[in-house]
Amino acid sequence: MVNRRGVLKIGAATVAGVLVKMPDSGRALPPTGARLAFLRAVFDERFAECRGFAAELLSAGVCTSPIRGDVAKLWYDNLRVHLRENRLPVTGLTDRTALFCIEELARDVGMRVIFRADHMIDQNGRTQHMAVGPASLVAAAHSLPPEAGFGRAIAVLFGQFDISRLNINGAGHTSAQKRTGPFSPGAKTALVSWMIA
Amino acid sequence: MVLPPNVNEADFNAALSQFRSAVGASWVFSSDEDVALYRDSYSINWGEPEERVASAAVAPAKVEEVQQIVRIANRYRIPLYPISTGRNLTYGGSAPNMRGSVVVDLKRMNRILEVDERRAFALVEPGVSYFDLYNHIRERNLKLMLDVPDPGWGSPMGNSLDHGAGYTMAAFRDHFSSHCGMEVVTPDGEVIRTGMGAVPNADSWQDFRYGAGPNVDGLFAQSNFGIVTKMGFWLMPMPEAFLSGTVTVPRHQDLDPLVYEVSYLEDLGLTGMPQYGSPAGRSAFGPGAAAMASLMQNGWPSAQAIENFVTAQKLPAWSVQLYFYGPEETVRATWQAAKRRIGKAIAGAAFQDGEFLTLPIPKEKEPTQSDKPRLGIPALEVFNMVARNAGNANDPPDGHADLFVTIPRKASALFEAARVLYETYKELGMPAQGNPFPTPFTYYSRCFWTGTTVPTWRDPEKNAHSRAIFEKVINRCAEHGWVGYRTSPTFQDLLISKYSFNNHSLLRFQEKLKDSIDPNGIISPGRYGIWPASMRKNRA
Repeated sequence: MVNRRGVLKIGAATVAGVLVKMPDSGRALPPTGARLAFLRAVFDERFAECRGFAAELLSAGVCTSPIRGDVAKLWYDNLRVHLRENRLPVTGLTDRTALFCIEELARDVGMRVIFRADHMIDQNGRTQHMAVGPASLVAAAHSLPPEAGFGRAIAVLFGQFDISRLNINGAGHTSAQKRTGPFSPGAKTALVSWMIA
Repeated sequence: MVLPPNVNEADFNAALSQFRSAVGASWVFSSDEDVALYRDSYSINWGEPEERVASAAVAPAKVEEVQQIVRIANRYRIPLYPISTGRNLTYGGSAPNMRGSVVVDLKRMNRILEVDERRAFALVEPGVSYFDLYNHIRERNLKLMLDVPDPGWGSPMGNSLDHGAGYTMAAFRDHFSSHCGMEVVTPDGEVIRTGMGAVPNADSWQDFRYGAGPNVDGLFAQSNFGIVTKMGFWLMPMPEAFLSGTVTVPRHQDLDPLVYEVSYLEDLGLTGMPQYGSPAGRSAFGPGAAAMASLMQNGWPSAQAIENFVTAQKLPAWSVQLYFYGPEETVRATWQAAKRRIGKAIAGAAFQDGEFLTLPIPKEKEPTQSDKPRLGIPALEVFNMVARNAGNANDPPDGHADLFVTIPRKASALFEAARVLYETYKELGMPAQGNPFPTPFTYYSRCFWTGTTVPTWRDPEKNAHSRAIFEKVINRCAEHGWVGYRTSPTFQDLLISKYSFNNHSLLRFQEKLKDSIDPNGIISPGRYGIWPASMRKNRA
């Protein structure tokens, strides 16, 4: 089993630089390469933003897994098996419930949420983004557009991180962990983009 | 870093070092990020000094490592808190009972040691989840059905030891009652096996629970007398068929005979867990909202006013769904018998046939099968059902704390409890909770549970409000002899204080045992009110 300690580091400076150059369309990902080290991108196929997120990452070579709310089958039959063997980062754009369940389940393989951005979509389709985690990534998430299409944009953002330099064990960051429960506001659609590592 | 109470940093670090020697450095977790994984996601003390956070966690892989951990803990007086999967949300989750404890995470002890199809039992380790056991059974096409809680991400062992329950037949859905035999590491590092497990070479450990002499298994449930490392469970043979049916009765007063008739069927072992409902009461969430408000405007209404409300709604006062498991001939015949008996006992009773299924459910149909837990299929769908609703408005809670109190299995007790809860909330100046149409929880077949749920938050001020409500409800219910069967660590001392017959003689007896069995108080101090002698001043 791969020991996750010290394996991953975020290059904050690199991220900041990349973000400045992030295309407005959110469509152009950097060429697939060593930067992208996600084992999987999980998305809730019921939501257009999530489908867009998955499409972007799929085009960059990340394996994607659809869910429809419930993560049980994906976790027990698939993700857990792989993560026990090789604890690579997993990303997703789902509702809060799915992230809540994955976060609880991920403790079994010693993984934790290192970044999350809550995307609160009101009845007019306007989205407010609230992120916690590494500062540079948070800043970028907060500048995501309030209109439709942020799913693709956040995929670009994630794709441009140098995951291989993410030091998840050294930063002492716990701000993204267990940030909320599984519940969403009744009057809004609450989606969450996240990384666990 | 949080330290265990009365342990200095040097001793704590020495203990961690020895834990690492015992289980391997990779399996001792002491960084802030790793320890935060064990926070209770539903904590009603989130972010406050009273939040029960761990100082570290250690994950043994085998019983010998558990023994070593216990011995090290004794050496340094380190409080331990064992968890199996640690997902018992609302009851503490993965967080310890006492702040600063070291969580003993038994997730690596995840072997399914034996499943015997013909004798219908399983023997498992703590880290085996319901999903794991279910998949094991399905992959081998064993003709066995699990009884699972909902959500099903916990473990048979953990759920049983916390007196959790499921949804099928009474003999199986009381998960502790369906266990047979356990292996325990006691606080001094000894390993004991209960029942026939104490007999060398016996092949009947999972066949006969008692052996001879006192049966001590109950001491290890909701308690702190040892770390259970193996446990056997009786499983239900896979029924050939499943049938559901719904009964409705017209009048509010009909609940009394309905409960009697349903209980008759259940006590004979003819039905699974009944699901009570109230079509008339449920109308308050729709077209009957104004009428219900009118009914309740002057406080708890009279029996006649309630009957008038039901009549005006043009809906049955009560419903109950019945679930039958067995060969097709018997489930159909039992449903016919239920119709005959209830039809004779209650004028105007009506019946609707429900789902008929042959079992097991084909694998390809599982994802879309409704009501999975009643068919022994573990699921997490319950989270999706409750995650987003009108009650959450713009400011959803982060979790909840539940209080289910035990009341007699009769309609009059249910009505009385509903009235008391309603009045208690009113006294608190809270929005009215409840109405004359309460429906009982029937997880345990011989009693009803009723109660309340309060929201929990990441906001200390809101949590303080929730705690005040929760404590008020506990106290008020106890005045009537209605006390919870489990609760979150925050309220365990208060809950246990209500079991006060003869000046708390039961708790004092348990404390004598604690002092003898665990003199250093290293196992789960304070769990369900049982504190070691050195910590009794901590009692709330």
